[in-house]
Amino acid sequence: MKNIKSLKLISFNISFYFVFFLYSAIAIPVLTLLVAYFSLFMSHRNTMKWFRRAISWYGMLVIKVFPFPLIRIYYKDYEKNPGPGPYIFVCNHRSATDPFLMACLPYECIQVVNIWPFRLPVLGIYARWAGYLSINEMPFKQFSKQAVKLLKQGASIIVFPEGTRSGGKSMGQFHGSIFRVALEAKCPIVPVCISGNENIPPRGSFLLRPGKIKIHKLPAIKWEEFKALKPFKLKNMVRNIISKEVAVMDRKE
Amino acid sequence: MKQAITENEIIAMTNQVFEESFEIETEKLQPKMNIFEDLGLDSLDIVDLIVALQQKFGVKIRNDERVRYIRTLEDVYRFILSLKNEEH
Repeated sequence: MKNIKSLKLISFNISFYFVFFLYSAIAIPVLTLLVAYFSLFMSHRNTMKWFRRAISWYGMLVIKVFPFPLIRIYYKDYEKNPGPGPYIFVCNHRSATDPFLMACLPYECIQVVNIWPFRLPVLGIYARWAGYLSINEMPFKQFSKQAVKLLKQGASIIVFPEGTRSGGKSMGQFHGSIFRVALEAKCPIVPVCISGNENIPPRGSFLLRPGKIKIHKLPAIKWEEFKALKPFKLKNMVRNIISKEVAVMDRKE
Repeated sequence: MKQAITENEIIAMTNQVFEESFEIETEKLQPKMNIFEDLGLDSLDIVDLIVALQQKFGVKIRNDERVRYIRTLEDVYRFILSLKNEEH
């Protein structure tokens, strides 16, 4: 019985990764050519906008279609009247799949990442082209300047302020850089809670396990609501909101 | 002549800095608490902490290498104490 289960898991992973690499080999050049073609007729700003949206479409198929039905994604938006953005999306971080899951957010987004995603073959190059921010490679002043500029242009920012994957159900302390940016840019913060992907894949492994992944996008916290807070208090307030929601999501698993 | 500050005064004043600058509850301010892992400060908060401690105690901390080795609240108390002792 155990052997059949292992066999199923291995065949699922082989088929997923095969389709993933095949799709990437086709979709990435096609989307690049499309964006490059349309850039001839569009401003740089619009080209970047479509380029970032193209990355989301690419990610959407990877997370929603290829692993289905063994891995199912449930996305829920709790915002009654979602605005056009830009927003700062603040998420908990349990697994390496989290950055891919952000394709669910229907916005033009860039992500704040560690150094390693930039080192990924192909995807790393695209992350740089899309303007992703490598927080460990720049001093805070430079990071803040670039982040504020992106928000002013209308791009939203996704950040995992724990800095590293927890690999389980616990949540690390938050780093405060992005909250200082939110205060400076007067940008609303949207807590995004992810649950169920602790083992998809487990830390230090590429082996995807079947499961349900839930993503809850909570209502935006407007600048007017947090402008009086110090960055330390603000980061802990957002952390508490995410922590409470994630605890409820884990219980309902 | 300046009057020496006692260890208890340093502890009370340091805790006050944590309460005022970071709004951390008094119960959490235990000497063995790690200021990063338990209290949740990050590198940018440390800059704010240094500024607040400088104002509170009238000392210069900014370029002091010993700041790098501070981990617990007790380390902060000891560091301030050593700075105050150096003044006398």
